[in-house]
Amino acid sequence: MKFTPKIWLFVILTFLSFLSLFVTVSPFGITFLQKGVLVSSVDKDSIVYEDGLRPDMVIVSINGNTVSNLDNYQELILPYTHLGENETIRTEIGVRGLDTPIIGLYGSELFDDVNVEKMPTSKLSTGLDLQGGARAFVRVKGNVTASDIDDVISVLDNRLNTYGLTDMSIYKIASEGDEILIGIEIAGSSPDELKSLISEQGHFEAKIGNETVFIGGDKDVTYVARSGEGVGVRECDSVSDGAFCNFAFTISLSPTAADKFANATKDLEIIGDYLSENITFYIDNVETSALRISSDLRGSAQTTISISGSGAGVDQQSAFVSAETEMKKLQTILITGSLPFDLEVVKIDRISPNLGENFTKRILLAGLIAFIGVMMFVTLRYKKVKLSLFLIFGSFAEILMTLGIACLINWNLDLSSIAGIIAAIGTGIDSEIIILDESVSSNSNKNESIKQRIKRALFMITTAFSTTFVALLPLTGLLGFLGIGAASAGMLKGFAVTTIIGICIGVFISRPAFVDITKQLKGDDK
Amino acid sequence: MKFGDWYNKNYKKTLILPAVLIVLSVIYIAIFYSQTGSFFYMDVSLTGGTSFSIQTNYSQSDVEKELSKNFDDFTVKAVSDGSGNQIQLIITAPESESDAIQGGIEEILGFKLSDENSSIEFTSSGLSKTFLDQLLIAIILAFFWMGCVVFIIFGKGGKIKFWLIVANLLFAVFLGNFFMQINPIISWIIFGIFSVSLIFVYLKKSVPSFAVILSAFSNILMTLAVVDLMGLRLSGAGIVSFLMLIGYSVDTDTMLITKLSENNKAINHTIFESFKTGLTMTCTSIIAVVLALFVVYPYGTVLNQIFIVLSIGLTFDLFNTWVTNTAILKWYFSKKREDKK
Repeated sequence: MKFTPKIWLFVILTFLSFLSLFVTVSPFGITFLQKGVLVSSVDKDSIVYEDGLRPDMVIVSINGNTVSNLDNYQELILPYTHLGENETIRTEIGVRGLDTPIIGLYGSELFDDVNVEKMPTSKLSTGLDLQGGARAFVRVKGNVTASDIDDVISVLDNRLNTYGLTDMSIYKIASEGDEILIGIEIAGSSPDELKSLISEQGHFEAKIGNETVFIGGDKDVTYVARSGEGVGVRECDSVSDGAFCNFAFTISLSPTAADKFANATKDLEIIGDYLSENITFYIDNVETSALRISSDLRGSAQTTISISGSGAGVDQQSAFVSAETEMKKLQTILITGSLPFDLEVVKIDRISPNLGENFTKRILLAGLIAFIGVMMFVTLRYKKVKLSLFLIFGSFAEILMTLGIACLINWNLDLSSIAGIIAAIGTGIDSEIIILDESVSSNSNKNESIKQRIKRALFMITTAFSTTFVALLPLTGLLGFLGIGAASAGMLKGFAVTTIIGICIGVFISRPAFVDITKQLKGDDK
Repeated sequence: MKFGDWYNKNYKKTLILPAVLIVLSVIYIAIFYSQTGSFFYMDVSLTGGTSFSIQTNYSQSDVEKELSKNFDDFTVKAVSDGSGNQIQLIITAPESESDAIQGGIEEILGFKLSDENSSIEFTSSGLSKTFLDQLLIAIILAFFWMGCVVFIIFGKGGKIKFWLIVANLLFAVFLGNFFMQINPIISWIIFGIFSVSLIFVYLKKSVPSFAVILSAFSNILMTLAVVDLMGLRLSGAGIVSFLMLIGYSVDTDTMLITKLSENNKAINHTIFESFKTGLTMTCTSIIAVVLALFVVYPYGTVLNQIFIVLSIGLTFDLFNTWVTNTAILKWYFSKKREDKK
């Protein structure tokens, strides 16, 4: 078979999708279908936490025995559950990416302190319905209007996004009695986690003495530098029990806030190079850090201020990460300001992931059986095994590419997205049957050249594509600016977006390749 | 060609069959609506309420029997794995009774429900109201926009195409921002003006545009009637599967229209040729969907709904494409060719 450019494009994109789904490139090397178990949480007061085990680390061995999966891990951890109160075992926990294992004396509490989960087999994140997670309904306290609630949602959205949570959705719902609640769903999180994320109001305050100089939000803080000179984690130092890193970034203050700074500092004494009072930062009324003020700033209306802080960890790498997280959090609060209102959690539920794993297996099995059925039918119809193999392979590749794109854009795969993939594959097979009937099948007009017939087939496919495309567009929420589909929650959006991705891949990538393959097979027959 | 002759003579009469079916479906759904206040039975994820998923071996019928002593409005569903072992029970109840029912369940099972042994989901009925409104608007728009695209591809006249696009966009603006948000009577009048005039233009200037809308509409309508008749409680995923039908119905329709719009072949011959292709297309989908349904059925998940709705819908698609649309298009293209002569 001759590989035309279109076939090459198809093959290369399929391969790239495969890579994007299953292969992880990290500073520690390239890994495929990683072994080990993923640490989902570690009790912060535990010894093993002190020794350096953190969430998101991958445990690859315990006492020299390889941990390849969850069952294996549970087997190795079993002896610890039988230990008496003060008994411990000297344990070496091998962690991917760490040169030396974590070594310590651990007792039966190890089992409770460390929660692990299965390594994800692909990098695709699954939605709440497949993975489980937590969902909260919150009420905005006080007398609020609909636009107030929109403000709260945008601040929440902004904040959760900056914390790095992509698999979440926030929406408005009207409860009985027309009261508007906010629903927040985060896949893969626990109710406690979710609660801690939303109950923090994020009220940032900078005080000199007892006087508030400025607060978070764009009224006082006009600009927060998130990159550029003097921004980022700067020096790290090792200390006896670990390491810490400092971060700094600059912010611009509004003229009013700058005047307040001048007022607050003008009567302070100068002690050495600094003023007698520090500038102290509070988040939700808890002091987080204090900075000395250089003596030459006394009484001046400062519009640019450098904010700094630090993060600590067991080694420099974890200290760096923790400083970076702290910085991001502080920047977010300074940008978004505090939530304009206090929130009250009405209901918080854990969504069980119970069905998750078996369910995915079932879907895969259903898909496989459906494919075999389709393949048999197509083989019977066209009496060409080669063709039906290409057809099925093409559909597999399309699924792979759709998932690859979902992975790239951090799309959350949920049930309705799976329905979308099914719809796209179904119409894809339809299109390929049109191509086959127009070009290969004997009942087509012999007077026409194959080029003409293929052209007509492609015309039909593009027509069907355009029609389906516009039919799905109102459901994607992309027309939200027209007020269409914006409030239709995640479900319809998931379906429409995945279907559109799928049919686009079909019509632009895999159909052209299929046409080239069919032409060659047709050529073989002559 | 005996069937061909018969069809040439009677094809217009075959349209009576779909017309009767459409009217019957509309009447049935109207009665259904007047009795239940909605177009279909909704499951708890749409009506609002609480669903308890409990890991237990307690049998479904026992729980049902015990609960029915004190409560009326609830459902109990068992979920099993592939080999028939029960994994969990899913009990759903309306929001107003959820606390009482939870108490009832705990009494029957003899343990307290916690995060460890169960999960509790909650949806508010308000969610479904805005959701359904948005869905309805999105589907209405989808129909008209589909017609518009088919008009742009097959219809004639640059000017009218331009105005049609403008009208469809204005319609979208109206639906998104004003429909049912201003005075309902004015809403319906403006809605009527838009939809009647758009359909009029489609019918007058390009019948294929109308045929595509009609086919997608009747697929959804007839499937809905059957789903209501079966008493299926639809969840959000069930609704999504109705939308999947749009894509499937468009495929066969555009193929038929493209083939017929070429002038060089006998209409009946083209129809027969297209029928063979179309049958292959729809049968492939039906085979895939029915096989998938068998595999996922024991799990009792929303996938069942998707596949059930799809198999019903695809069967209707065969009917609507090859009885309804074929006759309409034959009528239209015969007349067009005659006019040319």
